[in-house]
Amino acid sequence: MERSAVAPAAGVALIALGAAALPLVTRDSYYLDVATTILMNLTLTMSFRLQVSTGQINMAHISFMGIGAYASALLVTRAGLSFWATLWIGALVAALLAVPIGSVALRVSGPYYFLITFAFSEVVRLFFNNFFEGLFGGPSGLVGIPKPGRLLGLVFDGKLALYGLMAVLCVVVVLALVRLDCSRFGLTAGAIRQADLVAETLGVNVFRYKLTTFVLGSFVAGLAGVFFAHYRQVLHSSDFGLEPMVLLVVFTVIGGTGSVWGPVVGTILMTIASELLRELHHYEILVFGAVLILTMLFAPEGLVALPGAARRLLRRVRARTTAPAGAGLAP
Amino acid sequence: MLLELRGVSRRFGGLQAVADLSMTVAPGSIHGLIGPNGAGKSTAFNLITGVIPLTAGEILFKRERISGLRPSEICRRGIARTFQATALFREYTVLQNVLVGAHLLAAPGLGPALSWSRSYRERERQARERGETLLHSLGLGAVASQVVGQLPHRDQKALALAMALATGAELVILDEPLAGLTDQEKAETTAVLRRLREQRITVLLVEHDMKAVMGVCDTVTVLDHGVRIAEGTPREIQANPAVIEAYLGAEEPGA
Repeated sequence: MERSAVAPAAGVALIALGAAALPLVTRDSYYLDVATTILMNLTLTMSFRLQVSTGQINMAHISFMGIGAYASALLVTRAGLSFWATLWIGALVAALLAVPIGSVALRVSGPYYFLITFAFSEVVRLFFNNFFEGLFGGPSGLVGIPKPGRLLGLVFDGKLALYGLMAVLCVVVVLALVRLDCSRFGLTAGAIRQADLVAETLGVNVFRYKLTTFVLGSFVAGLAGVFFAHYRQVLHSSDFGLEPMVLLVVFTVIGGTGSVWGPVVGTILMTIASELLRELHHYEILVFGAVLILTMLFAPEGLVALPGAARRLLRRVRARTTAPAGAGLAP
Repeated sequence: MLLELRGVSRRFGGLQAVADLSMTVAPGSIHGLIGPNGAGKSTAFNLITGVIPLTAGEILFKRERISGLRPSEICRRGIARTFQATALFREYTVLQNVLVGAHLLAAPGLGPALSWSRSYRERERQARERGETLLHSLGLGAVASQVVGQLPHRDQKALALAMALATGAELVILDEPLAGLTDQEKAETTAVLRRLREQRITVLLVEHDMKAVMGVCDTVTVLDHGVRIAEGTPREIQANPAVIEAYLGAEEPGA
């Protein structure tokens, strides 16, 4: 695991270049829509992986996206605030709520943490669905959310402009998270995942680290949620329910959580696959479930680890075939 | 006194693992904690380092109460430890393991990492240099870039000690530092412990190898069934009838 800063910088530059190059190839609104979804999902999976890197599987991650989305939608439609303010306010609301929730959930670990966060995500979903119907729209959803509007003389209502906005947000998030991963923060996070008690006795306040990643991840999820609200212009509680959460886990895990590039590969491949499987509707999750099981069985470290695994296998095969006869005998 | 235990007790359900234990560790000494299996030695270590809470009593380090603090805070005050079953970050290289140990002396936290400032990079560079120097001094220089999972046992033991030292601790607590080593390797490790004493780093250790304990320790405390039955110099301990009776039995001490 090399932690120099050159390869990560090149990776981020590649994502930025790819995102910038797409409109030169096509301005078809369908492709722009898929690309925007990829970038939105990538923002989510990268922030989810930040938490996974300290060993947390936070099943409420999607809920913080929802909290950011609903907060911004209401502040714009009810309080008349500008999208450019609620973009940050929505993310901050998600982060602020993450402090008490994380403080409770992180008292436990492993399967209990998984269960507590899962329970919380259902509470949030049911809350948006069943309470304050006049505010959240209830089962029929919250509609009439305006597009972002003007900033610095640019109008953000077309597919291309919104794609550009999401691309900028995503690249900034990826840059920050990649930088974190390559830094001492990432080193410490990985140490916590491998052996939290040893890290703690070496002076690492494990709880504080986990809470930091929980809150920071929630901030980023909230940011993606705000964009989602004003991009789709309609919110349903099921947008932040179990099914999208499972997809978020699948997207992140299939690529591999060992490196920051796992979620990148997984998200791009799986979002495209999800588009191709669109006709299956709710059955697509069956396909993703199967893909997840196959990945866990045959490539537990994710797709990005496959080249390395193949190389090791090849070297072992080669070593066996070229070993001289009788090499195992004692002299 | 550097470390002081006052009436420390720990009960697991019906088992009194440590009972009313009082002991002191003098600064700059090598202090051995011995006793038969189940005497409460490892529990005592877990209590001192905050890994498990006390049922009664208190622990002071440099005259300040440390019992009740988080393990990370106890480490920040100057106590680091190793574990009996050598515990390392197995996916990391040897140097990365030591860098985690240098957590407190480097630039921890979110802000410095995100800003990637000059002072952050400078502190990280210094941590890396200190880590490399430390690894060389413990004979691990050649394996610094190897992943820990494949290291020989001796190197894993040495690395665990290096990580504890990297925290900048004044007191290192070693749980069986010699277990599983050859005689040659044991001699090397005890030489390292003496070198630490010269650097005024205090060592508290649990060890089953009586010959090594009696050879290297300044003071020895003997536990049996969670109770302290003797404390003194190795010579006094070897002559103590209670120790011979309860712990060494019919065996000749130092055999």
